[in-house]
Amino acid sequence: MTQVVTVRRRALEASEERAQALRRSFADSGTLVVNIISSPGSGKTTLLEATLRRLTAGHRCAVIEGDVATERDADRIRALGVPAHQILTGGACHLDARQIEAALGTARLLPADILFIENVGNLICPTTYDLGEDFKVALLSVTEGDDKPFKYPAIFARAEVTVISKIDLLPHLPFDLAAVEEQLCSLNPHATVLRTSATTGAGIDAWCELLTERLGKKRLASAPV
Amino acid sequence: MGIALEIHRVCRDAARQHGPGRIESVRVAVGELTAVEPELLRFAWEAVVAGGRHAGSTLDVVWCPATQLCSQCGDVKDRAAGSWLRICPACGRPLEVTGGDELDVLELRFTPDDDAGGAPADDPRPNDRGDGP
Repeated sequence: MTQVVTVRRRALEASEERAQALRRSFADSGTLVVNIISSPGSGKTTLLEATLRRLTAGHRCAVIEGDVATERDADRIRALGVPAHQILTGGACHLDARQIEAALGTARLLPADILFIENVGNLICPTTYDLGEDFKVALLSVTEGDDKPFKYPAIFARAEVTVISKIDLLPHLPFDLAAVEEQLCSLNPHATVLRTSATTGAGIDAWCELLTERLGKKRLASAPV
Repeated sequence: MGIALEIHRVCRDAARQHGPGRIESVRVAVGELTAVEPELLRFAWEAVVAGGRHAGSTLDVVWCPATQLCSQCGDVKDRAAGSWLRICPACGRPLEVTGGDELDVLELRFTPDDDAGGAPADDPRPNDRGDGP
């Protein structure tokens, strides 16, 4: 006879537990972990290259790259002398905690001060999956148009930091920066919004300062009393 | 698809505790803020259970709208940007989100096999990697 079984469990509980275990291990090692999310082509890898050029002098950095296909992004990072691991999702549009766990098990990325995870280019699915990161960063390039925060609200509401990239192109585009910042503020009043151009270097220092400041806070929190 | 697979995993795990049998239907709560589209999730579920012993089982979605609370004005009914408004339209204070992030397996309807020695309730899949929610 058919019976009703009460379950009441989170659908993503296995994934969330993995992410929490990762978060605990990153807390123990004092590694700052940043989950970078944007649509394809908004400049995630280029921002990372500019960031690593500044940060590697004083900090051990490592990168996990997520893409559907090719090692191209990891190769670009390795060219800077930074350890990188490429996760090939073979069609999946996001990374999950299990993949991060596996990557850390096989690749020599740790110990590191800052671990950057460049998610698969997608503004929707990566938003749902916790990777054990300290915070999510959303990238929005000015070429994507100034209506995107309200069209893809989930990521901009959940990202602690939004980086508006390619601002050197602003003179050529009908992109209303003030309107975008207003949208971002109404979706997430506590978010930090940065304007950057990896080409001119604008805003990169502020972004790197944010990272080192967050790393310092994490180190203080994880330091043995 | 990835989320449908996770729901499937939770259901198999819950059903296993009741012995071998067939899952007839599953009730899940989906919050407005999860960016999960109920119709796509039902479609993904059909694909996940196809060919297995739970083939033909249905996924019933209980939709949970986002709710927002202002410390000054109370429950905020106004919606903007697909309910992602985080500033009170009346007083401008930040809003607290009090609901809408549910993604829970609530219950399932399950028919145990008459023959207690029948096939195991488990339904191993060759590939459990998703390609999107």
